[in-house]
Amino acid sequence: MKMRFLVLACLLLATLLTGCAPQRTTLTVLAGSELQDLAPLLPQIERQTGVRLKMEYIGSLTGAEKLLAGADYDLVWFSHGKYLDLLGRQRGLVVAQEKIMLSPVVLGVKESKARELGWLNRPNVTWRDIADASNAGKLRFAMTNPTASNSGFTALVGVATALSGRGDALTLADVQATALRGFFKGQALTAGSSGWLAESYVASQNDLDGMINYESVLLDLNETGKVREKLALIYPEEGIITADYPLMLLDKGQRAAYDRLAGYLRSPDFQKELMAKTLRRPAIPGVALDRRIPDRLLVELPFPNTADVLDALLFSYLDEQRVPAHAYFVLDVSGSMQGDGLAGLQKALNGLTGQDTSLTGRFARFRGREKITVITFNQSVQPSQDFLIDDTQPQGADMRRIRDFVGRLQASGNTAIYSALAEAYRLAAVAQQREPERYYTIVLMSDGANNSGLSAEQFRALYDQLPPDARSIRTFTVIFGKAERAIMEQIATTTGGRTFDGTKDPLDFIFKQIRGYQ
Amino acid sequence: MRRTTIVFFVIVGVAVAIALFARLGPGKVTAVTGLIGSEKAPFFADVRVQRALARQGLQVTVQRAGSREIATRADLKSFDFAFPAGVPGAEKIRRESGASKASNVFFTPMVIASWKPIADLLVQQGIAANLGSYYTLDMAKFLELMKAEARWKDIPGNTAFTANKSVLITSTDVRTSNSAAMYLALMSYVANGNNIVQSLEAARPMLPVLSGLFLRQGLRPTSTQEPFEDYLVQGMGHSPIVIIYEAQYVAQAARGDGSIRPDMVLMYPTPTIFTKHVLVPFNEKGEKLAAALETDPELQKLAVEYGFRNSNLTYFREFTRKHNVTLPDNLVDVIEPPSYEVLEGLIQEIEKLYAQGGGVK
Repeated sequence: MKMRFLVLACLLLATLLTGCAPQRTTLTVLAGSELQDLAPLLPQIERQTGVRLKMEYIGSLTGAEKLLAGADYDLVWFSHGKYLDLLGRQRGLVVAQEKIMLSPVVLGVKESKARELGWLNRPNVTWRDIADASNAGKLRFAMTNPTASNSGFTALVGVATALSGRGDALTLADVQATALRGFFKGQALTAGSSGWLAESYVASQNDLDGMINYESVLLDLNETGKVREKLALIYPEEGIITADYPLMLLDKGQRAAYDRLAGYLRSPDFQKELMAKTLRRPAIPGVALDRRIPDRLLVELPFPNTADVLDALLFSYLDEQRVPAHAYFVLDVSGSMQGDGLAGLQKALNGLTGQDTSLTGRFARFRGREKITVITFNQSVQPSQDFLIDDTQPQGADMRRIRDFVGRLQASGNTAIYSALAEAYRLAAVAQQREPERYYTIVLMSDGANNSGLSAEQFRALYDQLPPDARSIRTFTVIFGKAERAIMEQIATTTGGRTFDGTKDPLDFIFKQIRGYQ
Repeated sequence: MRRTTIVFFVIVGVAVAIALFARLGPGKVTAVTGLIGSEKAPFFADVRVQRALARQGLQVTVQRAGSREIATRADLKSFDFAFPAGVPGAEKIRRESGASKASNVFFTPMVIASWKPIADLLVQQGIAANLGSYYTLDMAKFLELMKAEARWKDIPGNTAFTANKSVLITSTDVRTSNSAAMYLALMSYVANGNNIVQSLEAARPMLPVLSGLFLRQGLRPTSTQEPFEDYLVQGMGHSPIVIIYEAQYVAQAARGDGSIRPDMVLMYPTPTIFTKHVLVPFNEKGEKLAAALETDPELQKLAVEYGFRNSNLTYFREFTRKHNVTLPDNLVDVIEPPSYEVLEGLIQEIEKLYAQGGGVK
């Protein structure tokens, strides 16, 4: 009773002094998926600031596209906001921004590999050294797709800036002149998200030598013992680029709540807690570094000054620098796909030939040098169709050939999922012999249960007999219509792929997401 | 129970009294609203400042904006005053608003924040001089390094900071921020053989060098707080040499929170340039505030605590000494920026280069 009076009195005092007590309010946040690790801290943030954060997690490029299209959020929070800043500066999209934490994007290499390459405890390993090792086949690393995920994007900008040989921010001329093919030769795993990349690294760590990711992610893997062999962190001498997690205010009207929130997030106590929980570096002066985080000189590379340079760099990566892909699309054209299902599938595929001109659509397009094999199936597996992309123009002959094929698709009959998937692996195994340098993936889309052809066990037996390289090809499954969720998830798990849910999001959106993994 | 009730009423009574006093004050209170450069926001948020203003019968509410963006605000005239950093920004506002007056309320020299190993290296090279508690930096010689596109690792005798990146002074975005505009003004003078550039035509031959100082840095933030904070937090590898306001450094040092570390050094560019904080009143209310800031001794003292200099040099000296920062109190080699037209013209030329892809001409 006593307490209640005092609390009431104090509240009244606060109200009279400030005009109003700290208001309880909910702010919507469009956030990078790498910020999901902050979820346990959200209740505490609400208690301290009166601000409830309603997070919606999204990939960086998809997020940028949404915002530029005018999506209505109070706040934006990604690992870095530079691309959005460059795209949206003229429009005055961002009202205010404050850095909340820091983590450089660096290379983690297995200690034995680092010793073998002479990198262990050597402070001046360069991006050039890494490129040479990769080019010589001595380093197989994981890195996310730079068009889909910020860690890959940041790494690409860093590598290109370092290898341009100049000391300034990258220009269009530098992008054209800088050869990165050697560097990316060793990229043996790609992904659309940094979190999935880290999980996949753990799952297939025997086949990889290291990974490019946020320092915090790499430190966490070492710390938690998820990796059998510790990763030596390499901070290349030319420099790195640091993700600074700016909290951006979009809605002018929420300035007061934003100031309260940013003030708390940047308070020394919260910064210490954030560092202890996430292994990201503090963003304010005067907070001593956690002893688990290396206290060393971090040379920061300059970041390009226009969106044009970044676009040119990303397209160059896709069309010229990266390991060319060979993507298999195993597509269900059984009777149940008739109507909207088939139309949605056709739209999704045509979108990838250049008909989707949105920001995400432009980067998801089939790329130069890429091979695409389409295998359609109902109760039987139809002859596969191969396409090679030389000309990336949407109206060019290569893209038109794909659209012509897509236009002729028809739906009828039953569903032989495993037979079709087995055929894809058989073909991919043969292709791998011929062109081992390509990056192979399979997409499997189905809208029904396996009611024809091979059984799950028969498929498994065939899969187990494949050569190891073919077995390492990941299958990304798309659940559509009345697909059997369990078997689609099983296939993704067995092959190290990932499942996407086409019953929640449209197929064209999902196919664009999957492109990040190809 | 009875005691709590009494406590309750006492607290409420005190609260009401304080609130009434704060709101109404002893006499009539004039509410004044203004648009200010963000670097002065902490000053206006200080309760001591608010109290001193209240004694003058003023209750000031401010909104923050980039100093070079204030002039373009559609709602500019709905405020009683604007208070940007820098004469060019103030001049732009005066022209947009048709305001006839402007008061130079505070000023702060442009300085360079760097690191002891780098400063000592530059001393060795005869580019800087160590004056004990601070350094000076010969801008003509430093410009030669930048012009030659030197890398840090190329500087002879450099073992302290062997980075491959170019020797460039870190600044803000020259298109939107005053501190970068002041840096441009300073370098235009140096590049012009220590003469104020008289026309845009005369500046044209220097444009490749001057634009390179900004474009080559890559993406830069719009607010002046950010480069300084990067310097404090991310260290020498991120920010080897940064142009900031002296006020930022002084205010940070005065906090005494250990964020200014022993290996951080302050360098005074030779020549240097001042950023004047100019209050542009749009009506009598704004004029009243300008007069208070210029004449009230308490407000003048408080401004010094935020690192700003004003006519009260004694207090600046006292304050900095108290916080163990000894700074030059009389800067002699101070230049004036070129005319508004020339500086704006230069910035627009650089803006065009960004629009053309961000490469140096």
